[in-house]
Amino acid sequence: MKNVTDEELMILVSNGNLDMMSILFDRYHVRIFNFLLKMTRDRDASQDITQEVFYKAIKYRTSYKKGKFSSWIYTIARNIFSDHYQRKKNKDQRLDEINYKTEAADRIEKDETAEQLHRALEQLNQSDRELVIMNRYQGIKYQEIAEITGSTPGAVKTKVHRAITKLKNHYLQNI
Amino acid sequence: MNCKKIEHQLIDYVDGNLDKEMLKKVEAHLKDCKSCSKALQELQTVFETIDNEPQELPDKSLQINFEKMLQKEKTVLNDPKIVSLHKKTKTRWKTGIQIAATIALVVSAYFYGKLENNESFSQEMAVLEKEKTQMKQTMTISLIENESASKRLQAVNYAEEFEKPGNEILTALINKMHYDDHINVRLAAAEALAKFSDSEMVRKALINALDMEQDPGMQIELIQILVSIQEKRAVPAMEKLLHNEETPNYVKDQVKVGLPNLI
Repeated sequence: MKNVTDEELMILVSNGNLDMMSILFDRYHVRIFNFLLKMTRDRDASQDITQEVFYKAIKYRTSYKKGKFSSWIYTIARNIFSDHYQRKKNKDQRLDEINYKTEAADRIEKDETAEQLHRALEQLNQSDRELVIMNRYQGIKYQEIAEITGSTPGAVKTKVHRAITKLKNHYLQNI
Repeated sequence: MNCKKIEHQLIDYVDGNLDKEMLKKVEAHLKDCKSCSKALQELQTVFETIDNEPQELPDKSLQINFEKMLQKEKTVLNDPKIVSLHKKTKTRWKTGIQIAATIALVVSAYFYGKLENNESFSQEMAVLEKEKTQMKQTMTISLIENESASKRLQAVNYAEEFEKPGNEILTALINKMHYDDHINVRLAAAEALAKFSDSEMVRKALINALDMEQDPGMQIELIQILVSIQEKRAVPAMEKLLHNEETPNYVKDQVKVGLPNLI
């Protein structure tokens, strides 16, 4: 099964072989979880959303149309994340509550530099933060980010570079 | 090349994405420019920090929950009793049934209505038909006493149209045959009565008429009718005509032709 591509597995899933989804789960759940963890800084929420991502992937398996599987699963993850984010916004959750969670998460950071960088990351707006996370933390190429976000590789590259510059400046200010 | 432009290339420089020409330019600049070297160093620190950050692992519960969910979805997939909202074929099938049911309902309602209509319609028609017959009888009887001979003739013709005329009609017709002043009315009445020869009353009246009638035309008509209905009781009346000297020869001839058929 190691030689079978993500796309081939997903086609099997969409044809009703649901067991193949567990291989895709093994390949992707840690990455998706870390992406969400960086976005939310909330372990529990990230685990819940990761669970939901794979649930939706099974539910909407027939809507998968031969594209790159990783782009598809990230698109689902982004949608669910923004649903949660929207819901939180509607509940008028106050900013300092999010900050509280940040500090709780920070306690487990061993490296001080990493902690400072995380603070800088949180100072970015959501779109910039997402781009930095996908490109630098997750190593996703501009081309694929463009597919996930519905943009062009050139525009993504420009935005990512700007976001990294902002991140670096925040980071330097915090020292 | 100024520092601003070089700074824009630093990310690609670190990532190794620059072409040879640009790489040479950037490297040459970095040798001489301290601020750009510093910027590069900072960028590398950021990237290293990111790269060194270990991936976090989710709790074991995530895997367990996933497997539970997968099992549940598999039972949903294999159990047709549970209707999944995402099975398009099933909904299409359902829609088909719904459309078919609607059509069946409309069609059956149409035919039911038509049937109902037909029944009540034919009932109504029967009532109307009966009323019409009664009205015609009444009209015929009143018309038959009219002063005008042509009206009386018309009435006799109407009477002929009845399939089963009542006694009233028959009596009126017999009266006309016997006593009407006008020969044509008497003839028409006789013709009409010939049609109802099943009735004993009519047969007797026809025999009587032959006995009483003076008009040769009427006599011939009556002879023909009586022969055609095979009325043997008319034989004495016919023989009487033969022996009567006043009877015209052509009437006698008619009797001679008719009599053998009766005896």
